[in-house]
Amino acid sequence: MRVVLAEDLYLLRDGMVLLLQSHGFEIVAAVDTGPALLEALLSHRPDVAVVDVRLPPSFTDEGLQAALAARREVPGLPVLVLSQHVEQLYARELLADGTGAVGYLLKDRVFNADQFIDAVRRVASGGTVMDPSVIAKLVSRPTPQSGTLTPREREVLTLMAEGRSNAAIAKQLFLSESAVGKHIASIFGKLNLPISDDDNRRVLAVLAHLQRSF
Amino acid sequence: MAMTYMRALARSAQLLGLAVLVLVQFVGSVLPLAAGVITGLRLARVSTNRRRAQFGAWLGREIPEPYQAPPPPPEPDEEGLYRHDRTLYRSPWFPNYMHRLEWMVNDPATCRDLTWQLWFPLVVLLVVPIGLPVAPWAVRGVAAWSACLLRPATRVKRPRRTDRILLAWARCGLLFLSAVLQVAQLAVTLVCFTLGFGLGIIFLIPVGFTHFRWLANLRRQYAGWAGEPVERPYTPRLRPELRADGLYRVHKSLYKTEGMAEFNARWQWVWHDPATWRDLAWLGADAVVTGVLAGIPTLAGVYGAFGLALPWVWTQAFDAEWNTWYGAVAGNRTAGLVAGVLLTAGALAVAPAVLRLVSRWTPLLLRPTAKEQLRRRVERLTQSRADAVDAQAAEVRRIERDLHDGAQARLISVGLTLGAIERLMDTDPAAARRLVAQARETSQAALTELRDLVRGIHPPVLSERGLPDAVRALALDTAAEVTVAGRLTGRLPAPVESAAYFAVSELLANAVRHGHAEHVTVDIRHREGRLRVTVTDDGEGGADPSRGTGLRGIERRLGTFDGTLAVNSPGGGPTVATLEVPCALSSPKTSTS
Repeated sequence: MRVVLAEDLYLLRDGMVLLLQSHGFEIVAAVDTGPALLEALLSHRPDVAVVDVRLPPSFTDEGLQAALAARREVPGLPVLVLSQHVEQLYARELLADGTGAVGYLLKDRVFNADQFIDAVRRVASGGTVMDPSVIAKLVSRPTPQSGTLTPREREVLTLMAEGRSNAAIAKQLFLSESAVGKHIASIFGKLNLPISDDDNRRVLAVLAHLQRSF
Repeated sequence: MAMTYMRALARSAQLLGLAVLVLVQFVGSVLPLAAGVITGLRLARVSTNRRRAQFGAWLGREIPEPYQAPPPPPEPDEEGLYRHDRTLYRSPWFPNYMHRLEWMVNDPATCRDLTWQLWFPLVVLLVVPIGLPVAPWAVRGVAAWSACLLRPATRVKRPRRTDRILLAWARCGLLFLSAVLQVAQLAVTLVCFTLGFGLGIIFLIPVGFTHFRWLANLRRQYAGWAGEPVERPYTPRLRPELRADGLYRVHKSLYKTEGMAEFNARWQWVWHDPATWRDLAWLGADAVVTGVLAGIPTLAGVYGAFGLALPWVWTQAFDAEWNTWYGAVAGNRTAGLVAGVLLTAGALAVAPAVLRLVSRWTPLLLRPTAKEQLRRRVERLTQSRADAVDAQAAEVRRIERDLHDGAQARLISVGLTLGAIERLMDTDPAAARRLVAQARETSQAALTELRDLVRGIHPPVLSERGLPDAVRALALDTAAEVTVAGRLTGRLPAPVESAAYFAVSELLANAVRHGHAEHVTVDIRHREGRLRVTVTDDGEGGADPSRGTGLRGIERRLGTFDGTLAVNSPGGGPTVATLEVPCALSSPKTSTS
């Protein structure tokens, strides 16, 4: 799988290159500025890009802007955005085009190599991965409908919004898969969302609902 | 027919009897009220309620009671004390009494009742005997008029424009009175100076300079009627300084007694303040200028209405006397009526313009001199610089403490764990693995803490996106529904950006925490070299910058940049907080962080 990596801190960039290579990814470009990232994304058209939000030369959100610009050129280009802090504002902008294949994670998640590699693969295959802290904030806000969810349903909703499959949710919460299925059907009923088996569509529906409701 | 007439005659007789009763009632309520006793009023209410029922029966419709509900009995606080205004009482009697008095006196229905009681005897005496031939209608008329005053007041809506013009005219009258008063004050000053400089009664001299300052200050405030209020220009009062050797020092002079030192300090302060001399010039000049300016509409209005127009009515109706200036012009009474109406209308029409002229004239002599303004600015800057330095020092201490107790301690723990892992790696790999997991968790916690700390110092989204987007991000984390409007064409200077961000953050938190607001609007604009952010919420209102430490903190923080915070928060809401900071925008391309 071909990867473009953008990270301005040398140590972290090097570490991620090693990590990705050891899991069988091919690094086609590892860049450290915003303009270079945009150029690499458009010329290499990688299977997935791993991008730091804050990049030189302006040290503002150049990485995010380059990724968004590239996705405007190439709709659905898979991008996993990493940041020292998560902002719902950025999450919304990434999700806005509704084509999926985006991820938004705290840099800390890189520590857990398995989870991180799993997230990269899910984004590359068109899935949506949101950092648990983004989801936690979305779900914890009382909205007219989500106010009626049970605590267990909230847990399921949180994991579902992170892009987990039914099996993964069942494993994490020590439930049977059929119980998870029942919870999900109940949540979708309460939130008035269309039921779908496709994990990614499901995530997008949930996120869209949560964002719409305030 | 005859029955109706007989009944009306009987009611006429009743009315005459009631006239006496109501007069007694009026005197019986007003006289005790003057001494703070409300018993008379309360008895009068009972009696007035009977009249409501009686007249209601005559008119065939109910006259509702207009009174407000009585206040609840006072509740004791935790200490068992009762509060009224700003005093705590051991017994509930006095607060209860005061609440009832305020309830009674502040009720508009009381005022209407008293008006009715005052006029009722007169109306009855006038209408009933004259109306005897048509008694049924006369009685009905008195009852209907009484019902008008005795039912709950319906608000009469007058057009705003009329209100404004009448207000302007009344204010002209007030200005004219002020001018008249100034003539008297000028005389007092002259007497003070004559006695002071001529006969040596020197303690009168500062009095002559300062006794009219209250009026000057009032006029500075009045300048706000049609413009900006004028700032008070006086230098801070000079106080004698007590030295270690027991002498009092004023500038370079030493005094043995405090009284003498006080007097000389006052003398020095008054004599050397340019505002004193400008006030004096104003006292004389303004008596003429404002006297003429405000006098014209005031006198024209009064003379037109009470000297020409109304006398025309009197003389016409009662065949009263008139002469060439009262009720007529040059012997012509119609001309008198026309001139009277025109004079009054003209006076009302020019009143707003006169107010504007006076408001422009007032600051010429009453505002602080350029030098004084500069001195004040220096004082403000010194103060705000001290505030800024203090705030910064406190902030640095907080960061140091957070780092020391948080991230630093955790990194030490990670280091220790790594040392243990190094030792255990060969002997007990399972335990080493457990410790690795622990070290990773600790480092994660350290990162989370650092992230929160950074957000408190300078939110990353602020440096990445600038103020409007940072506020949008903040809005997403706020429990109320927040709409963010407006945008900036460039970036603000970093310190201003940060101060404005934390101010908005505090205002949003206040709106949700204290005001229980559900909708908040934030409007961000930069115009004419000023950043202006308006935060409007639909909460309970009642925010007061002089009480809340949060708002004071925002004011101080903005003060460092010459910025201001204006809060308008009536009880019941809505609250509008506007902060303004003078600053320049830089183009977005050149900004770095």
